[in-house]
Amino acid sequence: MPAGKKVNTKQPRATNLNEEEIRRIKTDTGKPVIGYLCCFAPPEIISAAGAIPYRITGLPGEDNSAADAYTEPYGCTYVRNILARATRGEFDFIDGLVISHSCDMVQRLYGIWTYYHPLPYSYLFNVPHQVSPWAQRFYKRELGFFKESLEQFTGRVVSPEALVEEIGISNQSRTLVRKLYEQRKKLLPGISGSEMLNLLMAGGTLPAKAFQAKLKEALLKAEAAHGQESAKPRILIWGSIMDDNALFRMVEEAGAVVVADDTCIGFRVWEKDVPQTVDPYDGLTEHYFVNFQCPRTDRGPGSKRFDYLVERAHEYKADGIIGYVISFCDPHKLDYPDLRDYLKAEGLPMLLIDDNYSFEPAGAIETRLQAFVEMIG
Amino acid sequence: MSQSEMSRAKRHLETTARMKEMLPRFFMRMMERRFSNEPLAWCMVGVPPELLKAFDLLFEWPENFGTMCASRLVAPRFIEVAEGDGYSPELCSYVTNTMGYCKLFKEKGEAPEESPLPGGMGTPAMLLGSGFICEPRWKWFQSVATRFFDVPVYSTDPLAPPWDVDPTDPRIAEHYLTLLREDLAGQIEFLEKQTGKKLDIDALREIMALSHQALAYWRDTLALRRAIPSPMGSTDYFHAIIPQMYLVGDQEAVDFYREMYEEVKNRVERGVGVVEEEKYRLIWFGLPPWFNMGIFNYLESHGAVFAYESTYNVGDYFEVDLSDPLEALVRRTWQRALKMHEFGAEAMPELCNPAVFGGFVGSNLLEELTRDFSLTGAMMHLTRSCRAVSFGEVHTRNRFAQIGLPSLIFESDMADPRLWSDAQIKTRLHAFLETMDKVQKGVNK
Ligand code: SF4
Ligand code: SF4
Repeated sequence: MPAGKKVNTKQPRATNLNEEEIRRIKTDTGKPVIGYLCCFAPPEIISAAGAIPYRITGLPGEDNSAADAYTEPYGCTYVRNILARATRGEFDFIDGLVISHSCDMVQRLYGIWTYYHPLPYSYLFNVPHQVSPWAQRFYKRELGFFKESLEQFTGRVVSPEALVEEIGISNQSRTLVRKLYEQRKKLLPGISGSEMLNLLMAGGTLPAKAFQAKLKEALLKAEAAHGQESAKPRILIWGSIMDDNALFRMVEEAGAVVVADDTCIGFRVWEKDVPQTVDPYDGLTEHYFVNFQCPRTDRGPGSKRFDYLVERAHEYKADGIIGYVISFCDPHKLDYPDLRDYLKAEGLPMLLIDDNYSFEPAGAIETRLQAFVEMIG
Repeated sequence: MSQSEMSRAKRHLETTARMKEMLPRFFMRMMERRFSNEPLAWCMVGVPPELLKAFDLLFEWPENFGTMCASRLVAPRFIEVAEGDGYSPELCSYVTNTMGYCKLFKEKGEAPEESPLPGGMGTPAMLLGSGFICEPRWKWFQSVATRFFDVPVYSTDPLAPPWDVDPTDPRIAEHYLTLLREDLAGQIEFLEKQTGKKLDIDALREIMALSHQALAYWRDTLALRRAIPSPMGSTDYFHAIIPQMYLVGDQEAVDFYREMYEEVKNRVERGVGVVEEEKYRLIWFGLPPWFNMGIFNYLESHGAVFAYESTYNVGDYFEVDLSDPLEALVRRTWQRALKMHEFGAEAMPELCNPAVFGGFVGSNLLEELTRDFSLTGAMMHLTRSCRAVSFGEVHTRNRFAQIGLPSLIFESDMADPRLWSDAQIKTRLHAFLETMDKVQKGVNK
């Protein structure tokens, strides 16, 4: 692809498709839609309260200047993109907003958004930064406050039965996602990384049944795929929010396959089941807080904190890791040198793509990707 | 980069000038203890120094070290070393300053010679972090312990309620207070294990009593700056915070802040101001550019003085019952959270000092400050590498615009001078002074 060509203008984008879909679902069901950012507030509780959880995503590369009237130029470009979209009224289909206190920027987005563009319902879900016993107790209490606030908004009580049922349904989706990821371990993965990401993006939007139908269809296709081509270099992608598959496509066009990931919306959300505990809130605490891998949570010093990633790289036989970090993304950028050194010690080469949430200039990114793919190939 | 003409700063008070003798004395005492191999903790703002004193633990502040490196113009050297190691130039320059310092320290086996303190920062035996204010703090000590010093880390997590819940609701209060109490218990358990000492509650009570006396003088000093002309400038203000970090809890700090209070009071009584003809009275938001603190003197030379600074302002210190000093520590933190609420700070639900008020909303705090301190304008330092403190400045500017107070947002950094240009800054400052002139003339017409 020639330098300067906008890689992400390939339409339709998953975000656009999902937004069309959610508008339709909202009209069909008449249920309120609760938009959410970051993964700490369980969407299962939103569903059990009779609302539709909708994972808010951005449009990389689009103009963020509408955010300038409310916030500084220095800030995560993804968050600025979301704020610019909110300002332009592009999220007019959401009735409520849940933002979890993940990183600084997301948390602060909450205040600015709800001040300038108040919604009928909004909740900041507060999350401790470490997983000590007292932090876990705090998180569990926070789940209770969140549930109450939703009940007040929707007028529907969240019964333990309804919650357990929602957890069961979402675990079914997780099982299917894991099966698809299994297919990616094959010499010739039956599903490309860019297709997988688009599917998972729909997972934050579609009702479970529709999502699962898509997963099953992809699974059948993946299982039927037979390797004809010679093996390509295998890539694991780590980093900041990935809500557009442009980078995956660029990697694929550079002649590699994306076999696994460690990003938000990617495997981080689907990797494990919500444990079925006597008190469902214990299972949610374990899943969404203790087990959820995001560098914003402090898991103590040392490289052990990256062991899960090295294991994943080996499991999926990755030849190299591509790190993707968005401008001003403190949690990921601060982890990078430690991670790079640890991967190096483990014999895993790493390339870092530092991007302002636009995948531009595409030509320069592609050149670097090609060089990396050649090196590990 | 040629040196800025603003790199030297002049203080106005005799008390703050005396710090030139007081601080080296203190640092020498600390060095002696370090050389006798006493364990040293590196800690962060948000870790109560009173608690560390009660353990008789030696401690240093990499943040404060960052300000010293910045003002001695050696921070760029350390920051560049960190960048060479893969740290992005966008990251907090106190963090990258530390990372570069640590790398050189490890390579040489001792403090790099350009370090500002004799012997620089020593080898830590433990790291005491805090999630107070920002995210980078969580990663900072994690990485120091991963890359450079393999020592135990304990970080406190002072979460605070967001702006739109009611913290006076007893259930919400308990939700947060429980976390604060349990977290403090965890911190004490860690300190007991690392130091091999039991916490002496009586000693902590006495230390807190002294620290509160010192902070009360500081609060009262800041209130004196309502006087016209303003008796104390920003160069005094920003230097006078250092004893709060190292000496608070000592009689020496009480004496220092008392003398400062008396000096400022005396100036008010005699009508002595920072400048002869006070034309503009300003409020300062954000971290200062430690490498060019002369910016304050430059503004003073044009008749502009600051009567209030938002950052490091513990002016609203809280009366707490010291009979149970542990509960007092928790309540002090909680009072700050409540105060933030009263002010309507929505954008920063972490526990901030009430005046790191980057994101204030529907409150009347800005109106109150404008009235009480007779402000004519606001200046906001947008620090590229510290978004945590500068976040909310655009919003605050919007709020000031509603009040009719002109404000200026200018971009630079707290420790990294690479974004600074004297010519550009001066152009912006003069344009701002002119704007204030126009507004004042408009008002007086
Ligand atoms: S990309 Fe980074 S800074 Fe932005 S929201 Fe995600 S974790 Fe936060
Ligand atoms: S508040 Fe700002 S200066 Fe302080 S540690 Fe955080 S990012 Fe750095």
